[in-house]
Amino acid sequence: MLPHLGEAYSLARYLTRNDHDAEDVVQDAYLRAFTYRETFRGEGSQSARAWFLTIVRNTAFSWKRKSGNRVEVAEFDETHHSEAVAGNHPEAAMLRTAEREALADAIEQLPTEFREVIVLREVEGLSYREISEVVGVPAGTVMSRLSRARERLQRALLPVRGD
Amino acid sequence: MRHPDLEMQVDAWLDGELPAVEAGEIEAHLERCPQCARFREERLALRHAVRTALPQLTPSATLEARVRRQLKDARVRERARAGLGTRQWMAIAASLLIVALGSWQLGRQQPHATDLGDEVLRSHVRALMPGHLTDVLSSDQHTVKPWFNGVLDYSPPVYDFAGRGYPLIGGRLEYIGGKKVAALVYGRRKHLITVLVWPRAQGESAGKAGFRQGYNLLSWTTPSYVYWITSDLGRPELTEFSTLLREADAMAGVGPKE
Repeated sequence: MLPHLGEAYSLARYLTRNDHDAEDVVQDAYLRAFTYRETFRGEGSQSARAWFLTIVRNTAFSWKRKSGNRVEVAEFDETHHSEAVAGNHPEAAMLRTAEREALADAIEQLPTEFREVIVLREVEGLSYREISEVVGVPAGTVMSRLSRARERLQRALLPVRGD
Repeated sequence: MRHPDLEMQVDAWLDGELPAVEAGEIEAHLERCPQCARFREERLALRHAVRTALPQLTPSATLEARVRRQLKDARVRERARAGLGTRQWMAIAASLLIVALGSWQLGRQQPHATDLGDEVLRSHVRALMPGHLTDVLSSDQHTVKPWFNGVLDYSPPVYDFAGRGYPLIGGRLEYIGGKKVAALVYGRRKHLITVLVWPRAQGESAGKAGFRQGYNLLSWTTPSYVYWITSDLGRPELTEFSTLLREADAMAGVGPKE
């Protein structure tokens, strides 16, 4: 597989929330990476992955502007979240399903600046420093955004868990 | 009482992003503050739930084909503009994506080895270069372990911790301290862990743990082996992984008896 394709696609997909746009964004991002490969120096701590994901992220945002915010209201495709639930206890499974749906909704409703740090951290496994590079904010801001984003998600789960 | 001012730090600590001194302080605080300890448990549960709700997605096969075709077109256009010779072009084309998107550059940052820790670190960084990761690529410990029989005079302990989130990726041969040693590669999300293990010489002690150039290093000995592990993972996760290895060794009878 092409380097970083899965990561690029996941990021684009979670940022645009639309499969078709995500594919276009990924395609565009590879072309940009090719065109601007000279800008990748690999100096200091810069990782190739962070460099490329920066391009994917920026491409996704310019895509969003181009398409007149259409992707912001696009329906989230539930099929991507429908994998079987682990465990054999029906009640626990139901709770988990409800929880997962509440969480998926909550993530979807997060403002973009929160959603992107959650995706970069939890899906892509980037370090704060890499996230800081991709998003273009100081690492301290990454830390506080992550914490605030998690606070929101935690609150969204409270009614489901009933405590 | 709750400590909202500390919660952000607990988050960072769970992410393995807190500097050692602050991490120590937070750990001490978590020991004595039940509210913050509860907060930590909630956050751990949340992290698990978020990762389940946000799986890595797999792109369609047609996307990769489209991207490749497009890159090929772009290369052809560029080549036409630049008027490069075929040979030059072949060389560039072959290395292009790897150079642009691979992690070869990490190798350039490393200073000369001055101690074992540096050698271990460099072997890990070298392994991140495309194609250098493994000599034997298998998640099956019964494939990886025998492979070493042919190339080393000892048989290193090989485990698979896929069930614990640290799958075995493969193994390779390394030269550390002038000796051939076994290197095992384990994964953790998108991160890689290199485990170097060799028979312990009499009186040989563990190396110094540390954090160098963005990588965490841990080392310990068992009665039979010396271990070095390194990764860009945060210290908490790398420590968790080292605990798995020690436990597995203890179960297998090669671990610490003391």
